[in-house]
Amino acid sequence: MGQDLNTALGVSAAGMDVQTARLRVIAENLANQNSTGSSPGAEAYRRRTITFENRLDKALGAETVRVRGIGRDQSEQPLKYDPSNPAANQNGYVKTPNVNSFMELMDMRDAEQSYSANLNAAATSRTMLNRTLDLLK
Amino acid sequence: MQSALPELFTLAERRLAWTSERQTMLARDIANLSTPGFQAVDAPDFQTALARSGAFQPARTSSGHMDGTIDPGSSMRPVRERRPRTPDDNGVRLEEQLMKVADTETLHATVTSIYKKYMSMLSTALGRSG
Repeated sequence: MGQDLNTALGVSAAGMDVQTARLRVIAENLANQNSTGSSPGAEAYRRRTITFENRLDKALGAETVRVRGIGRDQSEQPLKYDPSNPAANQNGYVKTPNVNSFMELMDMRDAEQSYSANLNAAATSRTMLNRTLDLLK
Repeated sequence: MQSALPELFTLAERRLAWTSERQTMLARDIANLSTPGFQAVDAPDFQTALARSGAFQPARTSSGHMDGTIDPGSSMRPVRERRPRTPDDNGVRLEEQLMKVADTETLHATVTSIYKKYMSMLSTALGRSG
């Protein structure tokens, strides 16, 4: 079967879907940028990462993008001196989340931009679809 | 005298199929804007696609053969673009893709208007108004 405009709409929808998932992960990171552990020496919140892949969607009959997996950023967690924190170790240092809010904000911009690009592509596909249907008139 | 109209309709249909297919490819490129290792693809130009479509169909040379199952509409092989990749190993340039989408849409509008025009000419010839 050839790929029609409905397929194009489905592909754009999948694109918006993954960007939404990405925004959710970014929101989670930003919300937890101060979440430390609760027991002495415990790990703080680890930054979540999301990756995408291009895979065949059998229901749609075309390759689309989808979430490959949500992982954790294994980079080191910075230490902060805060003896009163319940998560402080015997020297008074607390592990803080490895979330960089600037990086998250830039990522958010990128996701937003990609989302609108997908939306634009979907709008164009819809216009074309409507114009084809107009041929019946 | 043989009319050129039916041929024109076939050509318009092929062109519309081509724009649909290209639009799907471009939509996929845009959807994969942040997929690592993805390289943008584009449709072959219309002439190439037209020359390829329906060129090779399996022929039934014996009654035991099945009918040809190759769909001439799916003969478009995507052309992989060679573009410098970003640090995350992605080869999609958004501006370029959006320009192509706009291009495809304009083309689609042109073809549908031509189709409509000829349809109304046909109606006139048949003696109906419209």
